[in-house]
Amino acid sequence: MAEPRSPVSAAVSHIPISMPTPEGSTLEMDPMEYTLRKRLPRKLPKRRNDVYVNMKTDFKAQLARCQKLLDAHREICIHGLGLAINRAINIALQLQTSSQGALELSANTSTVELIDDLDPEDPDEAGEPLTRTRNNSAIHIKVFYPSS
Amino acid sequence: MTGAKDRMRQKKMKNQPRNVTYSSTGRNVERGQGSLASGWVRGHQTGGQGYSRDLPKYITASHFANARAAEVNGMLKAVSKPAGSCHVFNALPKHMRRRAMSHNTKRLPSRLREGAHKLMERSQQTEKDKKQLPKRRSRKARRRHGNLLLEFNRRQKKNKWLETHIWHAKRFHMLKRWSYCLPHKPTAKTYRSSYRAMNTHALLQDLSYFCCLELQGSEEQILSALCRLTSKDTGPTFGAGLFLSGSRQGSVHLYRADEYPHGSLGPADFLWRPRAPHTSHRQLWIWIHPVLKAEVVSELQLVCQCFEVLSTSEEICSVEGTLVGQKRKRDNEVDCSNTPSKKLLGDCTRAAGTPVCWGSADTAITISDLTMEIVRYRLIGPLAHMVLTDTLQPANEDKETVKPSDFWWPNHSKDQTNMKLHQQQTDTFQLLRGVCSTGEVPAGCVLGLTVDDPRLSLPQRRIKTIPGLQPCADECRVRDLTLRGVAAHCSESALWDASVRHSVTHNQMSQQELNRMRSEALVPGSRLVAPPQGCVPVLLVHQPGRVRGEERRHWGSGWDLLLPKGWGMAFWIPLVYRGVRVGGLHMSVKHSQFKGQPHFPHGYPDCPAGTLFQSEQEAELIEKFKRRPPSKRTNYIKHGCLAPFCCPWQQLTEEWEELVKLNEGTSSICRTGPPEFTLLRSLRVLRQLSVWCCPSRSRPVTHPPLTPEVAAALQEEWGRSLLWVRLRLMSKGQPALHAMVCIPTVSDLQLLLKDRRISGPLEPLHKDHVKNMINSKHKASHASKGSSSAPHMNPSKALPVGLIRGVWPQPLPSVLSHCSRLTLGWVVEGDFSLAAGCGEALAYISVSGLLRLLLQQPQEQRGVVLLRNPSSLQYRYAQIIVDI
Repeated sequence: MAEPRSPVSAAVSHIPISMPTPEGSTLEMDPMEYTLRKRLPRKLPKRRNDVYVNMKTDFKAQLARCQKLLDAHREICIHGLGLAINRAINIALQLQTSSQGALELSANTSTVELIDDLDPEDPDEAGEPLTRTRNNSAIHIKVFYPSS
Repeated sequence: MTGAKDRMRQKKMKNQPRNVTYSSTGRNVERGQGSLASGWVRGHQTGGQGYSRDLPKYITASHFANARAAEVNGMLKAVSKPAGSCHVFNALPKHMRRRAMSHNTKRLPSRLREGAHKLMERSQQTEKDKKQLPKRRSRKARRRHGNLLLEFNRRQKKNKWLETHIWHAKRFHMLKRWSYCLPHKPTAKTYRSSYRAMNTHALLQDLSYFCCLELQGSEEQILSALCRLTSKDTGPTFGAGLFLSGSRQGSVHLYRADEYPHGSLGPADFLWRPRAPHTSHRQLWIWIHPVLKAEVVSELQLVCQCFEVLSTSEEICSVEGTLVGQKRKRDNEVDCSNTPSKKLLGDCTRAAGTPVCWGSADTAITISDLTMEIVRYRLIGPLAHMVLTDTLQPANEDKETVKPSDFWWPNHSKDQTNMKLHQQQTDTFQLLRGVCSTGEVPAGCVLGLTVDDPRLSLPQRRIKTIPGLQPCADECRVRDLTLRGVAAHCSESALWDASVRHSVTHNQMSQQELNRMRSEALVPGSRLVAPPQGCVPVLLVHQPGRVRGEERRHWGSGWDLLLPKGWGMAFWIPLVYRGVRVGGLHMSVKHSQFKGQPHFPHGYPDCPAGTLFQSEQEAELIEKFKRRPPSKRTNYIKHGCLAPFCCPWQQLTEEWEELVKLNEGTSSICRTGPPEFTLLRSLRVLRQLSVWCCPSRSRPVTHPPLTPEVAAALQEEWGRSLLWVRLRLMSKGQPALHAMVCIPTVSDLQLLLKDRRISGPLEPLHKDHVKNMINSKHKASHASKGSSSAPHMNPSKALPVGLIRGVWPQPLPSVLSHCSRLTLGWVVEGDFSLAAGCGEALAYISVSGLLRLLLQQPQEQRGVVLLRNPSSLQYRYAQIIVDI
């Protein structure tokens, strides 16, 4: 449960791909020739009080987990990536309201680089493995008891 | 156990005549005598035909008399010889036996006293004889190092030991499989902790039993030869550009030459040596399972035209010969000057003089068999690379020594280019520390490395490797590594060189020497000074985890560590000291199950090895089933389960094809291809089926939608094949081995629509007609005993031999429509999946059946099937997933 699962489902689909070539122009490829495989986002070192929110686990369970962590720690960090940003915010706000104002939030956003692999349809064709990177937004919310 | 029982029985029957046979001498006697002429066999004839009913018209008196005489002789012989070591009083009925009869002959009836007396004397004699035999040597003598090694060599003649055998044998249940002794399961309870290790830390396995075949020759010739064994339909082959550079390991499915899609052999991993400058000579390693070895070698010889034997394993047999000779001389000679390192050499899976290297004049390709030459360890888990970076220390360059040395590394490191490469490899290896999970590295990366003896930096006690919280400083280069993988030239290693391997194996520092160094170290527990012979070339090969499908990607990825032989234990202990768990064969089955991949040879019913495994498994399951009393067994007939032990794949595919043809009605196309079923491995078709099996959401329609015409075309091509699928149970249930996959009826689907958590329909109880048959037979025999008037009541209803109560007798009825729902296929591996958190099964289903199922089902319930365990009547809903 604790592992940060990918909130974006890594789907395999045929898509038209535009690759920036070294010359700078974009090269249009035949959509049927490549399959896109999304890699998982990079795992980051994880402390005990880090919570990576995903879209697969039940919302209530994740909320309860955060609540439990708050009993042991002064502050926890909730991370959400892509689609899970909404949920991360939701969890943080729920925590705050249920604590009757004892908790404070501080949110940071960042950009995470994700990697896609392109598998050629004709497997013996490509010499170099084709990969491309794209960016996705992430949010990191620190939920903490203010030091009085 | 049955083994002991069998042995007992064999001992008893040792002196008995095997069977009363009389082979007729007159060969050209007219056949009118029926079975009489062909000789006599004791007991009932197997095969159920019984005795021939039509009596012979005439009998030749001499033959008849000879046959009877042979029988009488046999019987007399059996009666006159005591069976095994049986005592005389065993002949007495139980109520006449008395206590301590064997000690006091007077307790026997007087007619038996004489015989008993003789026996007693004989037994006393044998005791005296035994005393005259040479005494068993004392434990101390037996445990002396040299003697122990001889004993070990004797014990691994039939089944070869891995280098870690003794370590494993202390902790694991060992299995004798494929002419190796392999660890199966630990004796401790470790199922869940091993799973946790795979999921969060690292699990270690010894895969040295995998066979490595080496091909050398020019690139074009090797490729043109090997392309006959594979097909591009099933994925990348030997010639894919990515693998050809040597920077990645690839895997293929091998077929017999030019027989795709028939003649499937099995999966193989392969690795090219990176190109050396200015030459087109290439080296290729193919790693295969030991079951496959004989077949693959013969196929390779065929496609490469390599039939000339270049060298045989005679050197090895000479070593063995000396050992055996010394053992025979043991009684006279006390000293044993055998060097202990000899233990590791040689391969007992090969008979002495077996060819290990083949070549040919035409193609200039040489094939060599490197079985047991290279040790292969597998680390599975997200922290596998951390364990490796902790354990292995890249070797230092040797600058002091100027004179040429006996060892390879000082000479090797003289060369400036070699040193530069070593530096780059070391840098890349250090970068791995910055990677957080093994799955982030591109699949199949290969990194060559030269490391110091890992025993030098052994921690004082077992520790657990944990990743540091600080992110790596070299963020940019780590990102490059995860994006591109290891550069091609860094995959080069001296391990490819046979002479280096030989030198490294033979110049290993002994454990004794190492312990001495350790005791002399000034600071206890500090790192020891690296001696010049302690540099080992290794290859690190990344193993992709789950590459197919959409869920749990990269789960179960890891690294393989390839070492020269002889260094197995030197690397094993340091790895274990880094807190990894060790798994056996059982865990590798589970690993591939959680990974959603068929495991070889369990899940390959089309390969010869898979069929062999199935028949073995069937025998084992029947044996286990028969061990229970009939009233405590599952009655599979009543449960409507036709094949609880072995799945009749051939019958299933044939019946589905017939059914589809019947539905089509008029157009009955005669198939001319070979009748064997195949497995569907074509990626193009799998991709289509995978999309069709998903319950439809708003998907971009790039694929052709499923229409009867498209299905008919597919059916035409792949009608008689099986498809490997994953099944996920929708609510409760734990699928078992050989559970049936069935097609739900329309009402079943409607029930599911109403309530998604519904458990499923029930199969009505079947009638056990075989039991009635047995009962009637019993009654008949009882009646005939009582009246002794009618010796044969109904000979037409004679039971077939080999009938087991509760299991269908052999000619099975239609497997398709035996139950209330049509059968699609069977589960080959099923269990509660700890990784998915629900029951998951891997099954093979008929392609024709699947197409029909998909055509009938509504869009939102595509791919819903029913699953029923062999010993249950409850159907469960499951979702078909085709991973690509």
